[in-house]
Amino acid sequence: MDLSFSEEQEMLWKSARDFLANKCPKTLVRQMEEDEKGYVPELWKEMADLGWIGLPFPEKYGGGGFTFLDLVILLEEMGRACLPGPFISTVVLGGLPIAKWGTEQQKKDILPKICKGEAILTLALTEPSARYDAVSVQVKAKVEGDHYVISGTKLFVNDANVADYIIVVARTADSANPEEGITLFIVDGKSPGITTHLLRTIAGDKQCEFTLNKVKVPKASVLGKPNQGWGMVGEIIQWAALAKAAEMMGGAQQVLEMTIQYAKDRVQFDRPIGSFQIIQHYLADMSIDVDSSRVSLHKAAWMLSEGISCAKEISVIKGWLSEAYRRVTAQAHQIHGAIGFTKDHDLELYFRRAKAAELFFGDADFHREIVAQQLGM
Amino acid sequence: MDFRYTDDEEAFRKEVQQFINESMPPGWLGVDPGPEEETREDVGPLARQMWRKLGQKSWIGLTLPKAYGGQEAPLWKEMILLQELAYRGAPGMDTAIAQVDLILTFGTEEQKRRFVVPITRGEVKWAIGMSEPNAGSDTFAVQLRAVEEEDYFVLNGQKIWSSGAHNANYEMVYARTDPENKHMGLSVFMVDLKSPGITLRQIPQMTGIPAFCEVFFDNVRVPKENLLGEKNGGWQVLLHAFGAERTYGLFAIYNAKRYLDHLIQYCNETHVDGQLLSKDPLVRNRLAQMAIEIEVGCNLGHELNWQAIQGQPTVKTSNQIKVHGAAIAQRVANLGMQILGLYGPLHERSKWVRLGGRFSHEYLSTIGSSLAGGTTENSKNHIAGRAGLGLPKK
Ligand SMILES: Cc1cc2nc3c(=O)[nH]c(=O)nc-3n(C[C@H](O)[C@H](O)[C@H](O)COP(=O)(O)OP(=O)(O)OC[C@H]3O[C@@H](n4cnc5c(N)ncnc54)[C@H](O)[C@@H]3O)c2cc1C
Ligand SMILES: Cc1cc2nc3c(=O)[nH]c(=O)nc-3n(C[C@H](O)[C@H](O)[C@H](O)COP(=O)(O)OP(=O)(O)OC[C@H]3O[C@@H](n4cnc5c(N)ncnc54)[C@H](O)[C@@H]3O)c2cc1C
Repeated sequence: MDLSFSEEQEMLWKSARDFLANKCPKTLVRQMEEDEKGYVPELWKEMADLGWIGLPFPEKYGGGGFTFLDLVILLEEMGRACLPGPFISTVVLGGLPIAKWGTEQQKKDILPKICKGEAILTLALTEPSARYDAVSVQVKAKVEGDHYVISGTKLFVNDANVADYIIVVARTADSANPEEGITLFIVDGKSPGITTHLLRTIAGDKQCEFTLNKVKVPKASVLGKPNQGWGMVGEIIQWAALAKAAEMMGGAQQVLEMTIQYAKDRVQFDRPIGSFQIIQHYLADMSIDVDSSRVSLHKAAWMLSEGISCAKEISVIKGWLSEAYRRVTAQAHQIHGAIGFTKDHDLELYFRRAKAAELFFGDADFHREIVAQQLGM
Repeated sequence: MDFRYTDDEEAFRKEVQQFINESMPPGWLGVDPGPEEETREDVGPLARQMWRKLGQKSWIGLTLPKAYGGQEAPLWKEMILLQELAYRGAPGMDTAIAQVDLILTFGTEEQKRRFVVPITRGEVKWAIGMSEPNAGSDTFAVQLRAVEEEDYFVLNGQKIWSSGAHNANYEMVYARTDPENKHMGLSVFMVDLKSPGITLRQIPQMTGIPAFCEVFFDNVRVPKENLLGEKNGGWQVLLHAFGAERTYGLFAIYNAKRYLDHLIQYCNETHVDGQLLSKDPLVRNRLAQMAIEIEVGCNLGHELNWQAIQGQPTVKTSNQIKVHGAAIAQRVANLGMQILGLYGPLHERSKWVRLGGRFSHEYLSTIGSSLAGGTTENSKNHIAGRAGLGLPKK
């Protein structure tokens, strides 16, 4: 066993923290909550130049060839900085599936653009049922000649407003088993028949209503095998859950640190509030949530990187952090008093994001069910 | 980063597992690690056998120098051994081992040979005499008096809550040698519990097991060569002793893991209204939540072990695990009682009992887990303090 990070990983950590502290101040974070696009193209380009966007992709397509664990390190720092923008959408929901299941042509067409920061991607999976199960996939794709024609509405699609390619999960055959007959399509964001509407959320992220009205896509845009897409979706949700957990981890770490500092600085009754035992015990509890999350996150990410099956470990960390991050931010509010309840204070950014992140890619109940299955129940 | 066990470590784990399989009676459901359940008449003899066997294999104090009966093995081996023993609920994990650490740190060469070797051979047991009626969390309030005379100290006073002292040969006794100085006036003695002037009274715990002992000292003469460390230097031993209890929370977690696994198996085999309990969404959800809490605790345990191997400070992490582990132990016990329903509270000897009555025991016994070895509140003070989050005192 060796729980240390490589020098390269330590460097990634540090350079990511420094870069984001500099380039992603909270003023920018707040601005992007109101912005139509929700990200800064120049900053996106800079991140691409640093190799961040191409981090996990093969070098032959312009990527860095790094592991998921490395990606998790980067995502933790992005979570710490509340970095806005379509990073998880592009890299995890869009890029990784193409890297894994795409044809050579698809990979050559799209991956280099992702790595250079020239293409934004996302996944259109959930529908008005708002669930992550196969029954809920109702959007239909029908064969017409050498094309498919897709119609229907997707909801809660992240960053579809700016996406160049959208991987659309659609039903291509009816079957008694809802997991059969689902196909993934790589759809050009400029295809006629697509409309997107931004949905306002408490987290200020860019979720969209995404409507396909007889959108025509060539057969060559099928990702993986037709009618067998659900297994792929399951895997994508796992990656996304882990990536989201990494962001949450970084946020929780930052909230703990800023709250410890606040407790040392804030004086009431002629002493720092951090000297009151109840505040100390709150912080002790928060630290247990944060520190136990960190090693569990890294274990799951390491397993994924090593190709060891880790459905349980991913659900353990997403299930755990979904509640732990919310607990930590709520407790931090209690310790901050009224100042943290204002829009001027950074804490509110994390509190809002914690809830949204909890609900993305499976909340605690969703992941507990997976853990139950993994335990043989 | 690599979470895998090496081949050597994996091979050792298999060896330990096989040893436990061969040493436990068929169908063994496991007992809580530590001196409490070893007090039971049906467990005591098995526990004694286990100490001997572990001693013969030089598995007690695996990491110690060979001169003191150890194997100079890497720390990882000991961690695997303790995890397996706790997970399988095999008796024989000895609080004496924590005392070895103290003796090796503060003892003279003569003391090391005299006291450590019999412990590592599995021949003697030790009790811990810290607490007194008026010194619980506030260990520095110890009043038991030790007065120097000629070549011995005379001890007068009492200890309480000394777990398993009635089964022990020696007790590590924290005594006051300077009544004027609360913190710098303590000394630590290794006391033969057969010494004249010692009276023991067992106190039944809530579980019904009489594992607590009151130990009364009436002019007990302790030879000077049994003073551990310096006279009035007991504070150093005491602080070290808190650190030596590093693994306590992890025992609780691995113990809870066994209970959870029994519960999962039970739910996979038990039908209610024609449906397997494990198919009930509420039951699945609760069991999975327990599994998550336990897994997260085990992961933090990996971190703790890693810190120890690296020689980093472990105060924060070990106390975090102590708090988390104690809470988990109580929650898994409560969950078991709820799932068993009216069968839950049945005594283990009832003919209708389920899962050997382990959950009714556990429900009662784990109330002690957030107290023993320092309370949860005390642990949180440590986490928040200088060696942890660095919060100010005043
Ligand atoms: C929605 C809202 C409406 C409000 N409306 C009004 C209003 O109309 N008029 C008005 O005057 N004020 C108002 N307040 C302010 C409110 O009274 C204060 O927020 C409150 O008294 C706490 O003070 P503080 O925010 O400065 O936190 P602090 O006093 O700095 O407390 C910070 C943390 O330290 C803890 N702490 C402080 N002292 C101790 C102690 N001795 N022991 C243990 N813990 C301690 C607190 O419990 C808290 O967790 C409002 C606040 C809110 C959130
Ligand atoms: C199962 C079991 C086995 C034990 N085995 C042994 C043994 O072998 N040898 C031995 O010497 N002792 C043993 N003990 C005793 C154990 O160490 C004490 O119970 C423990 O230290 C608490 O002391 P107390 O019971 O006197 O409670 P107190 O110290 O009186 O505490 C009562 C309450 O006040 C809280 N409190 C006290 N001080 C503080 C503080 N500074 N900040 C916040 N809260 C505080 C406590 O957390 C607790 O909630 C055992 C106890 C149990 C339950």
